[in-house]
Amino acid sequence: MDVALEADQLGKRYGSTWALRDCSLQLPTGRIAALVGPNGAGKSTLLHLAVGLLRPNAGTVRVFGESPYDNTKALADIGFVAQDTPLYRDFSAAELVTAGGKLNRRWDAALARNRLAQLGIPPDRPVGKLSGGQRAQVALALALAKRPRLLLLDEPVASLDPLARREFLQSLMGSVADAGTTVLLSSHLLADLERVCDYLIVLHAARVQLAGAADDLVAGHRQLVGPRHDGAPIGGVAAVVRASHTDRQSTLLVRTDGPINDPSWTVRDVGLEDVILAYLADGDAAASHNEWGVPA
Amino acid sequence: MGGAGMIWLAWRQHRKQLLFTLLGFAALAALMIPIGLSMRHTFTEFGLPDCVRQLADADVARTTRDSCDAAFRRFATRYGSLNLVAVLLLVLPMLVGLFWGAPLVAREVEHGTHRFAWTQGVGRTHWALVKFGLVGVATVALAVCYGLGMSWWVSPLTQAAHEGRMGVIVFDLQGIVPIGYTLFAVALGIFAGTVWRKMLPAMGVTLVGFVGVRAAAAILARPHYQPARTLTFPIEGTEGPSIGRGDWVLASGVRDADGKMVLADSQIVCPPGTKGPDGRACGAELGLGPGAYNWQLYQPADRFWLFQSIETGIFVALAVVLLYLAIRMIRRIA
Repeated sequence: MDVALEADQLGKRYGSTWALRDCSLQLPTGRIAALVGPNGAGKSTLLHLAVGLLRPNAGTVRVFGESPYDNTKALADIGFVAQDTPLYRDFSAAELVTAGGKLNRRWDAALARNRLAQLGIPPDRPVGKLSGGQRAQVALALALAKRPRLLLLDEPVASLDPLARREFLQSLMGSVADAGTTVLLSSHLLADLERVCDYLIVLHAARVQLAGAADDLVAGHRQLVGPRHDGAPIGGVAAVVRASHTDRQSTLLVRTDGPINDPSWTVRDVGLEDVILAYLADGDAAASHNEWGVPA
Repeated sequence: MGGAGMIWLAWRQHRKQLLFTLLGFAALAALMIPIGLSMRHTFTEFGLPDCVRQLADADVARTTRDSCDAAFRRFATRYGSLNLVAVLLLVLPMLVGLFWGAPLVAREVEHGTHRFAWTQGVGRTHWALVKFGLVGVATVALAVCYGLGMSWWVSPLTQAAHEGRMGVIVFDLQGIVPIGYTLFAVALGIFAGTVWRKMLPAMGVTLVGFVGVRAAAAILARPHYQPARTLTFPIEGTEGPSIGRGDWVLASGVRDADGKMVLADSQIVCPPGTKGPDGRACGAELGLGPGAYNWQLYQPADRFWLFQSIETGIFVALAVVLLYLAIRMIRRIA
């Protein structure tokens, strides 16, 4: 398996707070991966470490085997679209394409121009005067013009309306499919991700909660409904991810390691969104209660 | 790609800023040059160039000195208010620091565009060096024009004033020190921008820092760049102090025979044989015994360029240190 992005015990600290901790993961090449987690979970931190904007405080991060921090050789293989798609607002889209050509060794200006022409983006208007969706498309075109092997996008659609969001994701998928580009896309919009991604990394409270191919994750989790559960082991269940109980009945989302044959449980298949939500739900409520000085 | 590409980007980003600066500079020149010309015209008309030449000679005739002093006073009455303009012009280097230095990094971080710039094929140290270099070149060019222009403009005023160009405000306006001040202001702005990473706080810190360091250098450090000279002369005499025009007097006073300071910040000269109102010797009513003398501590006028070089060197060195620290900070911004 070729690995595009590899993190090993990766950690980043701001002051005394860990924004990302003990992060170990391997993103195989050719995947369209979603990086999911609530705000403040460490998504941007992980992406900034991967694109070399940040230097880790612990562990290592490698992109195609190279450490990306202050490494222009590794950066040549990485396309990055930062949160809120920041661009020099007084530059026109055409000037930004020129700028990219002057700053990069490998630069496919024709690709960027063709994309922008197809999307009907005016070439000579300052990008600060374009709509949010158009600006995001310009940022994506600039990232793609590097012909990167790994494309990192930090909340690229968060500020877009649903229509622009759909168009953006469609055009993204269209352009990376042929080139075999590996994509890591952070978002908290689960529905969008489910449609486009085939790999999933769930971050919560600075740690990786779950990482794997979407199909495997869906196949490896089940929802069980049955009589109230007292914590006794169930055959075929590796771990209970989330449990909710009424007086007589329990609903469990479980990770399986074999077939579940116990007749007292009704077994249901789950969707990717159910799995994600289950892993995100158990937050650090205790810590929050502690900070507020109220009993949990 | 690489160096030339980065220069193109920096030029494209800052060309408007440069244009506005040049326009402002041109407008200022259009205002100052006519004033300067009229001032020089009057200076010649009053015969002051001759006076400057004659007064440089220590044993100039008493009558010449008196008539020249009168002419200088006339000139000072007409143009003295321009000294206020000169004071206002002191802030120009700081403005360059505020509007060129502080936003250079802070604006990028505030708008997030550093995440675009630093993830292309140019490393951020390279990015910083090219930007600093271009801003530095533009700053030096502006500061040289400013220093030369101000030397020309302010010279009638300084020649008319007794302290000459070593005086506290005019020294700071002319020659090569504006290069040091402007580079320092820009470097301070850049550094503040890498620490606070927002334009307004960075500008505020630049303002306070620049004024503080400049005042400290002018008041605390500059009098000691070279050991000051002392001049003593008796209380009784026909002549006043023979200290030259243009010397920078740091301190003065009257000391008694043992060298103890009796009257700080004063000078006393009595014609020989003068008696006080009560018939005692001159100065006796002030507590001065026999052997008391006038004392002055001063930096001579011919140290002007030496002092300019030392002060410029200090501020250029500070600027280099700040830029080095700024690059270190930039390596930590994400």
